Amino acid sequence: MVLLQRPHILLLLIDTHQFLQCWIAFGSANEEGQQQEEFSEELLVKPLPDHKLLAHFHFQSSAPPSTSNGCHHHLFPKAISQLVQKFRVKEMELSFTQGRWNYESWGGFDPISSSNAKPPGVELWAVFDVPQHHIDASWKNLTHTLSGLFCASINFLESTATYSTPEWSFPPASGNVRYGTLPCEAVCTENLTPWLKLLPCRDKAAIALLLDRPSLYRGFYHSQRLHLTSTESSSEGIDSGIILEQTLTVVLQPNSERAIEVHASEKHVQPSWSLSSIFGKQVSGRCVLAKSSSVYLLLDRGLVAELKFPNKENGKSAANGLTSENFWSNPSFELSVNPDRIFLEESSSHSKSLSILYMFQVEKYSESEPFDIGLMWKVPVAWLCQQTPLHASRFFMGSGNERGAIAISLKSTQFTEGFMSANSKDGSCELRVDVFQVVPWYVKVYFHSLRVFVDQQPRAVSDFIEKIHVSPSKDKMSPGVMEVVLKLPCRVNTAALTIEFDKGFLRIDEYPPDANQGFDIPSAIISFPNFHASMVFLEDDSLNRSPLLSKFQEKCPVMSYTEVLLVPLTTPDFSMPYNVITIKCTVFALYFGSLLNVLQRRVAEEERFLKAKAAKKTGRLPLLLSKLSAKLRGRRREPLHSPPSSSSFINSKLVLKVILVAGLAVGWQYFFS
Amino acid sequence: MAEISEAPDSDSSKLLGSDSKAPQRPDSEPEFDPKLMRKTKPGLKRLFLTFSVLFSFLLGFPFLWKSVEIYRSPLPFREIDSLSTQLRSDTLLFPLHFHALFVGFDSDPDRLRWSILSEITKLTSQNPKCSDNYTLSVTVDLGSRCLRGPTSSPHSSSYQCGSVTGDDFVQNDDVVVDERLASVFGGKNNEYSMAVVKGVSERAVVGKYRHAWMVVGDGSDVEMAVVKVAEVLIKVFINGGREEGLIRNEFMPVGADGKIVLSFNLLNADPHDWVYDWDFEKIDDTLLTPMIEALGPVANISVESQVLYHTPKASFSYWNQKLESYVFSTKDLPFFVNSNEWHLDTSIAAGGRSKILQFAVYVPSAKECPLLLQLPNGEISKTNGFISPMWGGVIVWNPQGCLKDSEFKPSAKNIIPIQDLENMFEVFIGQFRQLFGFKSLNVYTGASGDWNLLPSERGFTEWELDVLSRQHTCFNLHSCATTLGSLSRLVQSLPRMIIKDEIGKQVKLSLEAAKLALSNASSGVYEFSAASSSQARSLAEDAFFHPSIMSVSYYSFEHCFAVYSPFFLPVSMHVVLAALRELRRYKQEKAKYLAWKAKANTAT
Repeated sequence: MVLLQRPHILLLLIDTHQFLQCWIAFGSANEEGQQQEEFSEELLVKPLPDHKLLAHFHFQSSAPPSTSNGCHHHLFPKAISQLVQKFRVKEMELSFTQGRWNYESWGGFDPISSSNAKPPGVELWAVFDVPQHHIDASWKNLTHTLSGLFCASINFLESTATYSTPEWSFPPASGNVRYGTLPCEAVCTENLTPWLKLLPCRDKAAIALLLDRPSLYRGFYHSQRLHLTSTESSSEGIDSGIILEQTLTVVLQPNSERAIEVHASEKHVQPSWSLSSIFGKQVSGRCVLAKSSSVYLLLDRGLVAELKFPNKENGKSAANGLTSENFWSNPSFELSVNPDRIFLEESSSHSKSLSILYMFQVEKYSESEPFDIGLMWKVPVAWLCQQTPLHASRFFMGSGNERGAIAISLKSTQFTEGFMSANSKDGSCELRVDVFQVVPWYVKVYFHSLRVFVDQQPRAVSDFIEKIHVSPSKDKMSPGVMEVVLKLPCRVNTAALTIEFDKGFLRIDEYPPDANQGFDIPSAIISFPNFHASMVFLEDDSLNRSPLLSKFQEKCPVMSYTEVLLVPLTTPDFSMPYNVITIKCTVFALYFGSLLNVLQRRVAEEERFLKAKAAKKTGRLPLLLSKLSAKLRGRRREPLHSPPSSSSFINSKLVLKVILVAGLAVGWQYFFS
Repeated sequence: MAEISEAPDSDSSKLLGSDSKAPQRPDSEPEFDPKLMRKTKPGLKRLFLTFSVLFSFLLGFPFLWKSVEIYRSPLPFREIDSLSTQLRSDTLLFPLHFHALFVGFDSDPDRLRWSILSEITKLTSQNPKCSDNYTLSVTVDLGSRCLRGPTSSPHSSSYQCGSVTGDDFVQNDDVVVDERLASVFGGKNNEYSMAVVKGVSERAVVGKYRHAWMVVGDGSDVEMAVVKVAEVLIKVFINGGREEGLIRNEFMPVGADGKIVLSFNLLNADPHDWVYDWDFEKIDDTLLTPMIEALGPVANISVESQVLYHTPKASFSYWNQKLESYVFSTKDLPFFVNSNEWHLDTSIAAGGRSKILQFAVYVPSAKECPLLLQLPNGEISKTNGFISPMWGGVIVWNPQGCLKDSEFKPSAKNIIPIQDLENMFEVFIGQFRQLFGFKSLNVYTGASGDWNLLPSERGFTEWELDVLSRQHTCFNLHSCATTLGSLSRLVQSLPRMIIKDEIGKQVKLSLEAAKLALSNASSGVYEFSAASSSQARSLAEDAFFHPSIMSVSYYSFEHCFAVYSPFFLPVSMHVVLAALRELRRYKQEKAKYLAWKAKANTAT
């Protein structure tokens, strides 16, 4: 305080007027220091080209830096703040996703898709503000806490074999990042309810009322994300402020009644929809605790280009006279509610046409007059969303349970060719692609076998790979991580990376209960650092800026996730150990038994005994028989040669025995079947 | 050896063979029957072999046993037993020193002492768990000199004669008197003092520190005073002024790790009507921090707060025309707390076994606004709150606006007035005291009359803290002994259980801490004994709930049996049968040989 004032006194000597200004500035800074916890809620709706609808809920809570050590809260969720305080989390993102974002038809070049399209299952990354050797412990504790908080098995990310440490390719580039995914985690309402609990109004009022579980989970894509950043605390004692951003992105199919009636000729008409028809609920009133609650309708660049707004050619000059009605009473569609404001995008470098944003303020509506926006299409419209420069997909090659190869193929989407050439400098146009791939340890990747194919021609790796970072997997210890920076020529049509692997063997207790399902290889992250997805909308009051729109303005690199791969490993027979034990023991027992038998056998004595027995036996039945036969034949009894007869007798005994055993077996079978 | 034994054996077989083959020469050995007799000594070779196999197996068993043995850290079972027997046999005695001072009386101190002691024994109810070992000294202050009894008591000697006079008690301000007595008796030593003064205005007051005083009229006799003195010493200073059976004495809302988290929640039932916020930080500094510091020796307390919205209560209230308010009756109280909507989260900041006490301020919605709680006798609760033992407390706070008829239009955000907030937190402190078993009234009604209890600004007076730490020590030691006892029973009943070294260490440390607590308690150092007893308890709980104990069933005896029986069962059958057969045969053969020998002897 004293230190701060000293320059002001100096300033006073120079110019009193300036001093006054300084004081005003200081005062406002003071007010900012005591700012309140804030909350705002927004919903963005956007029609998608394939007759679907994107709804993007955005809730933002912020807690200013305070001295209360994160114990006292008015709006901000206590649990999150305590989590940040306890584990010194600098930044964290947790997403629960079901379904796969369709980059081809839903776009990949806008802020929504590049920051909200997430891989299926759970993805968690966190940056910690702790010394290097404490990070792993913090991560473990964090995963356990989060799994308790969100009723998910995030605690499986605890073991070092499941998470990785990206060095530089992962966006929040810093050494303290930990990244882990659970691709096969099922996401359902039990994850949504604790997520909603973090909102001050939960799902009791305003926009969150729309979160009707059956309609949400019926959708094609559902991603629930939680992102928090804690601002740096400058001095000791004052803890950091936190910004918590919760988004829920769903892609739904509006099924209006009209869609059934459409004639074959009208097949291409987009389905008309309203909030109540999609979600089955309406927005009644606002959450009184929210600083702002508004609903936006976004018309894509491609869609706007198709719609032929009357003054489209005038471009930006028309933006000033934006209130003119022709923006929302278009011949091709009709809005059921008049928008409160219309934003036009500022000129974007990547596309000729500009997107339009309609804003509806929920504050005006009440329970008696609920808010329900609807869009009715009059003419068929078809357009394409702006796509990522390269479309990425990943697949397996090879067969069998021994080895295979992973291929990441990048295919140029002709869509962005126009501005790619604009990006080029002096003819040496290059397209930078970052690839981040984590493979579990049981997929033993041979990094030397990395091969690059450009335009279907095998090329030297060093020609296209600018930078590569590899950390090989350690058995049961850590996964393999590969970070590659590719420099491709702009005119490239296809590019592919292949890498070979051997399938490892797991111990019997390392198999999951559904071992035959296969093992998931987490999605690779393909990012294009030279391309930034941002949408800048002209806004009058920069003070009262909406968090969603300011989020759109941030320059985030275009990112896309590849598919999750399912690798089948050899599944053992799980009763094997016991079988092995039993058979081994039986063999040993047999060996011991026979050994003992041999040791104590008295050969001579036994022979003698047998002979005595044989002598005895021959004295009876065979003797009688021979007597009988002799009598029958009327001949004198010959001296008996026992061997043949006794052998036949033994044979008959053997037959008897066999019959007995067979009878037993049949009886057994009969009894047990 | 083998060859040597081989030779006669083969000889014998040859001999026997020739015997059997040569029936034509029976005359040489007239009575020889090969079935009953033999001429040679039976061979020992096979017997030796089979028995060596058997013995090597038997010798191998200890090695096998050793190899499949699981690691069990040795636990001091005997010491655990001795600790629990020591606690059970009532040797946990807290020494207490009473000092009764009679000013303006002219009686024999020894006689007074005996009469007080006899009264005390009448009143003492035997606490089943912990008892007290008290000593009493009596001083009769005659102004210029003192009569002490017993004369050689080390405790009463600190008192300076004539430092307390009847004039000190003339003024009506009890707090001033209390401070005056505190300076006389000194705050440091753990002595409970009781001053009986003759004066004009009759009063009986228990101070904030460790003393009480009583002003009796001139005419009253000593016997009456003696009864009251004995009662205050026993009922107030020892038992904390609480009644038996209100809340069970051993109930202490303290977590196993000696921590309590006080979680304060402001619940706005319906934010559409009004939203109230509070200035919690201020209240925390002024009201809660002194109390938390005071309770330091008993528990480590942390405080957190949050404001929740859309939190209706779970049950309905009814409009009462006479009171012009909504009334919630006591019989519905179990349904007041709405666990579905009240997200009074467990704290992440708190460790695993801390006790979390929830305190909730419920701001009713406009639909049910003046909401009052009704006692079972039909009266309206003054505090408008209730407690739930071991859970916490709830207060209903009706905003100003709803009492008048919609005059007040609440703005979007209101702050609870600081005056109301202070009242609320006083109630909370009262509830907190109740959770610890103390009364929140400041009058103690005994059998022999009423006592005024001076409240402390720290929430708990010094003698109450003494009661708490004694009780805490007692509770902790007993719980530690039971936990360790269960652990030792468990360990002894499951011989296949793995016990890690860590558990053994924890048990040892816990026993040491318990012993330290016992010795501290018997020397009267309450604070240290409370601290080490809670340490003993938490270590015992740590040992009992150690995660490795959970893995017992994974290496059970059945498992071991299932793995080894396919080998050992058939093999041992072979070996044992072979040994038996060989032994039987040897005996038989030997009998034959002996028979032949006997015959040969008789023949010769």
